[in-house]
Amino acid sequence: MVEDEPEIRRFLRSSFGAENYRVVESPNGRRGTLDAGMHKPDLAIVDLGLPDFDGVEVIRHIREWSTMPIIVLSARIQERSKIEALDAGADDYITKPFGVGELLARVRVALRHRTRLPAGDSLILGNVRIDLQRRQAARGSQAIHLTPIEFRLLACLAKHLGMVATHRELLREVWGPTHVEDTHYLRIYMKQLREKLEDDPIQPRYLLTEIGVGYRLVEEG
Amino acid sequence: MGYAWAVGAATACTLLGLAISPRFELVNSAMLYLLAIVAMALRYGRGPVAVTSILCVAAFDFFFVPPKGTFTVHDPQYWLTFGMMLAVGLIISTLTETVRKREKARAQLALEAETERIRSALLASISHDLRTPLAIMTGASSSLAERGEQLSAQERGALARSVYERSHEMSELVDKVLQMTRLESGSIQPARDWVSLGEISSAVIRRLGERLSSHMIMAEVPDDLPLVRVDAALIEQVFVNLLENAVRHTPPGTLVRIRGQIDGDDLVVSVEDLGGGLGEADTRNLFAKFQRRSERRGGVGLGLAICQAIVKLHGGRIWAEPLPGGGKAFRFNVRMDEVPEAPAATADA
Repeated sequence: MVEDEPEIRRFLRSSFGAENYRVVESPNGRRGTLDAGMHKPDLAIVDLGLPDFDGVEVIRHIREWSTMPIIVLSARIQERSKIEALDAGADDYITKPFGVGELLARVRVALRHRTRLPAGDSLILGNVRIDLQRRQAARGSQAIHLTPIEFRLLACLAKHLGMVATHRELLREVWGPTHVEDTHYLRIYMKQLREKLEDDPIQPRYLLTEIGVGYRLVEEG
Repeated sequence: MGYAWAVGAATACTLLGLAISPRFELVNSAMLYLLAIVAMALRYGRGPVAVTSILCVAAFDFFFVPPKGTFTVHDPQYWLTFGMMLAVGLIISTLTETVRKREKARAQLALEAETERIRSALLASISHDLRTPLAIMTGASSSLAERGEQLSAQERGALARSVYERSHEMSELVDKVLQMTRLESGSIQPARDWVSLGEISSAVIRRLGERLSSHMIMAEVPDDLPLVRVDAALIEQVFVNLLENAVRHTPPGTLVRIRGQIDGDDLVVSVEDLGGGLGEADTRNLFAKFQRRSERRGGVGLGLAICQAIVKLHGGRIWAEPLPGGGKAFRFNVRMDEVPEAPAATADA
């Protein structure tokens, strides 16, 4: 846990302790980077407003050698650096002030996701079942036709199951690095995916919008 | 501009003077010039007035004072006329300049008074909206810290929850004040992106969840509306504030409807409710800061002001209008730009 504010560390320590997590506390970015390498935790929580260097730097350092889930704590006025942190490899974020329950839920999702085989499983969205490897989708026994791009988009979202995939990342992975600014592609294809997979595409339960950030695919709608 | 008018005024007087001179005394032509000088003095500063005076004197001399067609003056009394014309011009322009300055100072004072009024309104609302939750939090948390052991688990839970809820409320208030300050200082540059307003309205309804549950929320945003290029996070704030506003000011169970429509080159978004009209409220004042429609219903009175600042930042307009049958609509528009080519469908069969 990389966080400079001792009182925030205190309530996080007691809440995580009560859930039987072991917490390593790092009061600044330098220590955070070192501690991540030394203790090799299952997950990192990184505050974006650190006294010595930007939390985004901590994330970049960790990402050089590890795929451990990273959750970012950001204040509301740090909208841009939040997106930067996600693009740098953070998996999810939570905005300060937050309730502990919310953060614990994010942590559980991130840890659960870590133990899944990447993109190997099938997705279950209500009564829709999608086999990402064999590229098949069906609602009950009724096959659903998904185009190759729709499958790629879904696979990219599934890689972050329960967590956030940023616009930039989705665009880069699905359409390539020259299209990272073409958010209108995403709007069009997300709409198509929702129409095919959601019961109510207007009020989606599985393909959720993270306004201004990206999208989040969840299995339990 | 003033100097162009000076030339224009002198020319016009000369032409008019020449037109009437066969039938009128010379003194009337002089009066015409004087009128032009006075008119100029009312509108412009000393420079243009002096130029007007000199031009008028010269023209009067050349066209009307015998011998005509020359600048020569035979009768010395005309020198007095020339002097009078110049003096009148300068005196009046000095007078109007003083009045103008005084007017400006008064406007400045009024502006300062308005700023002061807003500042005291902010203080008043902060003292009310921050101090009440603060008092509750101080009281509840001190009970927990000092008397925790003597309380039942249920009581402890209730106290802790009230600290939690009140602090949440306060942080939203602080966010609003901060947001307003940042919008006003012009430090926010919209990060524009292609956005589906239908998608935003669905996401906002989902995110607000519980807080809208007392009302019937309906979204009528056709999903084939064109994408718009806006800052999604800021426009989300507009949706949130308008919805919270509608829920706060109408009785539970009221129908609140979000609509999106095309109007010419604009996309118009409305949040309508059937919970009574706008009443006596001045529809322009609604968007002013710290304008609360009701003291008891809470809200610091910044929600609509923030909406207006955000919509303006996007080059749009926000307004309120009564609905037939006793309801009201808050509407804002955003310009539709041409959406660039979609990825070719043939590449993805």
